Amino acid sequence: MIMFNLISPTLAFLFQEAPRSGFEQIKYSAQNPDLAKFLVIGALLFIIGVAGVLTRRNIIVIFMSIELILNAANLNFIAFSRYLSLTGDPDAVAGQIFTVFVIVVAAAEAAIGLGIVIALYRNKETIWVDEIDLLKW
Amino acid sequence: MTLSGYEALFFWIFALAAIFAGLLTVMARNAVHSALFLISSLVSVAALFVLARAEFIAGVQILVYVGGVMVLFLFVIMLVNVGAEERGSEEIFNNQRQVAASLIFCLLLVGGVLYSVNRGYQGLQEQHKLTPEVAAVQEAIRNQSLTASATGSSRMTTDSESLAGSLYRYASLPFEIASVLLLVAIIGSVMLARTLRQEASADDLGPEVLEEEIVRDPELAKLEPQSE
Repeated sequence: MIMFNLISPTLAFLFQEAPRSGFEQIKYSAQNPDLAKFLVIGALLFIIGVAGVLTRRNIIVIFMSIELILNAANLNFIAFSRYLSLTGDPDAVAGQIFTVFVIVVAAAEAAIGLGIVIALYRNKETIWVDEIDLLKW
Repeated sequence: MTLSGYEALFFWIFALAAIFAGLLTVMARNAVHSALFLISSLVSVAALFVLARAEFIAGVQILVYVGGVMVLFLFVIMLVNVGAEERGSEEIFNNQRQVAASLIFCLLLVGGVLYSVNRGYQGLQEQHKLTPEVAAVQEAIRNQSLTASATGSSRMTTDSESLAGSLYRYASLPFEIASVLLLVAIIGSVMLARTLRQEASADDLGPEVLEEEIVRDPELAKLEPQSE
């Protein structure tokens, strides 16, 4: 018991995060990517997808950008699932289940969307979204 | 969750690959190039899934996206290929004011999201204090209970097992609904992609519409007897 009392503060000291400054901190966090890095990558992919949806004229590329957005959401689900499973949450695998459903919905959306593109091209002879303005007042 | 050593190296490689391939998807002039860059982005994200110990999802991602969705995209690109885009005679982006407005919106979104992720993660770290060294020790202890692979150099994960258990135990109704959704999507896309001729031969056109179309294309009248 006495030995344990002696050892545990030493262990705690060894495993304690040493105070770091500036460059060391950045180097340390780059060498040990954690949950926040996964979330940042997911956010960047999401924003690239949003930019694609808002700026492109080709309707097929807009669909691809939507796939990027859904995939960014999947990355967040998986990262949080991993994080929670390490904290001992028994329901952590729910994140992966959600990802399966997101993939299913993305596949269905792609099939329907591309069917619409083909029907549209047959009727309007264009895939530029700014020329498809039937509902424009 | 903290990666270290080679995992950290591969994390950065695949993260950068995913982001650059995503950017090129949006910026490529040729739609086929866009589709190929999208594949590389999705495969890189699948590699990130493996680093986050979601091997089954990574496999599903590659099978569904690269095997299914991408082939569908490429087929549609071939079907509606206009060619003006590749020759450079058509503008690929919307007009400048719209692009500027959406880029400003996206920059605001980047700033807001990065700020909130960092602030939120600090709070999360205070809740679950765990240094990478301690986490590595815990992970090693957890891995001891897994069965060794045939070569003995690594261990088999129980990821697919736990995912399947939870999927069928707690999410079996949503699973069935997802299968119905896929069925509806298949039927819907087949219905949407039919030509006028196919619609007429299946007797799916209204009588007035058929009259009008026969005036334009007399061939359609010959199809009608088949459906009777």
